[in-house]
Amino acid sequence: MRKFLRTDWLGLAVLIVLGGAALGIARPEFLTPYSIDVILVGFSLTVVVALGQGIIIAIGHMNLALGAIGCLVAVAFGGSMQFWGFPTWAAVLFGLAIGLACGFVNGWLTHKSGLTSFIVTLATLSIFKGASLGITEAQSFDGISDAVKAFGSDRWGPLPETLLVAVPIVIATWLFLGKMIPGRQMLAYGGNPAAAELSGISRGRIVILAHTLSGLFAAIAGMMTVARLQIATPTIGDEWLIASFAAPVIGGAVLSGGHLPVIGTCLGVLVIALINQALVLLAVDPFYVQVLLGLLILAAVGANRLREARLGTGPKLRLS
Amino acid sequence: MTVQTRLRAISRSNSFGLFVAILVFVAAFHLLANGFTSKVNVYSITRSIGIDGVIGLAMMTVLVTGGLNLALGAIGVCSAMGVGWALQTLGLPIWFSMLLGVLLGTALGAINGLIVVTTRLHSFVVTLATMSIFFGTMVLLSGSNGFNELPHSLTGFGRMRLFGMVSPLLLVMFVVAAVLFFIYRYTAFGREMLAAGANPFAAKLSGLPVERLFVSCHALCGGIGAIAGMMASLRNGAIVPSMAGPLGADWLLPAFLAPVLGGTLLAGGGISVLGAVLGTVFIAVISSGLYMLQLGEFWIQTALGLVLLGAILLERGRAALALARSTRR
Repeated sequence: MRKFLRTDWLGLAVLIVLGGAALGIARPEFLTPYSIDVILVGFSLTVVVALGQGIIIAIGHMNLALGAIGCLVAVAFGGSMQFWGFPTWAAVLFGLAIGLACGFVNGWLTHKSGLTSFIVTLATLSIFKGASLGITEAQSFDGISDAVKAFGSDRWGPLPETLLVAVPIVIATWLFLGKMIPGRQMLAYGGNPAAAELSGISRGRIVILAHTLSGLFAAIAGMMTVARLQIATPTIGDEWLIASFAAPVIGGAVLSGGHLPVIGTCLGVLVIALINQALVLLAVDPFYVQVLLGLLILAAVGANRLREARLGTGPKLRLS
Repeated sequence: MTVQTRLRAISRSNSFGLFVAILVFVAAFHLLANGFTSKVNVYSITRSIGIDGVIGLAMMTVLVTGGLNLALGAIGVCSAMGVGWALQTLGLPIWFSMLLGVLLGTALGAINGLIVVTTRLHSFVVTLATMSIFFGTMVLLSGSNGFNELPHSLTGFGRMRLFGMVSPLLLVMFVVAAVLFFIYRYTAFGREMLAAGANPFAAKLSGLPVERLFVSCHALCGGIGAIAGMMASLRNGAIVPSMAGPLGADWLLPAFLAPVLGGTLLAGGGISVLGAVLGTVFIAVISSGLYMLQLGEFWIQTALGLVLLGAILLERGRAALALARSTRR
């Protein structure tokens, strides 16, 4: 019980319940099936994006190219159906392969060059994004197969079908980081790279694995967005960056690596989805979402830092 | 140092390599791309060197701390919008409005710096948050409406062509670069910022006010970002919230490309003003040349990413080679 009370995410869960209740009282339409459906669809897309960044944060790296990979995959996914007549399953495999390849390139370059992932993924961001825009000439592909369109809009009972992809991914990530050897090694490497390498964990394998997984998640999120929008446009992924960092950080992830609470990240995504929906219902300017998200990131990292200070585990002097 | 060793040092420096690369590319594009050295094209190249150069120099001042500033574009646009508001809504004189703009940029930069120093969080996450906050607040205050009735003297300055082919924005960039060069080379303030960035612990132990210096670096970045924002508005002939892309993120690539190509260390403490300027020239030449070769606007972005990747890998390889050479002796 005491362990339960000390989890990262308990405060966040209480906040979500209270906020949801307050909103339900102020705006009864918040609790209608339609509104809940919107929240769940938003949740299932953003959670995949957030975990794609989270898995990189876990090793203390970052992936600025996440949205650009999602965009390139979305374009390839749509284009292969429209121009090459790929059946849906082949287009999905093609998209996954592109995502894995882009992620692998990020990981391999970061490992081989010894540079920070920030600068490597800034470069690949521009490469992937330029390629998506160049291939499409900034137009949209609308030759999406009916199966994909149906997946984006159909229900499975009361739940949107996109949730059926997101939930297994969340569970798999939780199992991978919590129970499996490569996942544990990734967290160990993120917590203390030098100690991890001395205990026999291969740096190259960890870095490449994490970036490749991140590419895979970006690919899945990219294709889910195509299904949702019913169209493959080269603006997909443009708005992922802030949310992809905000959700894990609000959930209690440490940016220097070593700790990624999967449940906390999900709650962070839920907070973002709730804010989005609340602001739609209250009919306020969408730019309030931006301001509010920024403030939430600062509040969340500030709270984490306070907790570290109380436990005496925070850095003594780190100014950069 | 003999003349010979000095020459050898120059020929091995990063800036010299960039300089040679620029000459090679200019010659190649002159031969291959029709109209690359025409007056119209030279004008557009000098204009983008002017704006992107100031953006790169702004980022460099905060790379000194070993941190970064994702909010640079947001600060630039916010400050330019502030200038537009002062000019058009309040009707203040031009010089005073611009001064207010630079002050606004400096203040926003100082906010970044203060948060970084007091919370001891990495500047990446702090400026990720403030990028969203600054830009969102600006859009809410302005209602996404730009300012398009700038005084004629200002828009005239933006359109001016010196010698028929040089944009005055290039001269603004040279002034900013010269001031920064002077600060980092000859003033105690500049040397202290470099020392604090190179090794905060050692600097702190030697009695430097490291926190205050870091706030100054961020404030300097904001102030120069404001200048870049005004220069970008002069190019457009109007001040619009979307001029640096969503959340001002379109500035990020030029902001990092130029200093990194020029040999600025991302770990902090090592800068090169000359390198950053040459880096900007290099990028402008490549972008313009590829455009003239009709590569297509979008693929240029891909090419720039490849250039950044190639340059940093080359730099790595050269550093490794130098190490191997020195240890063999």
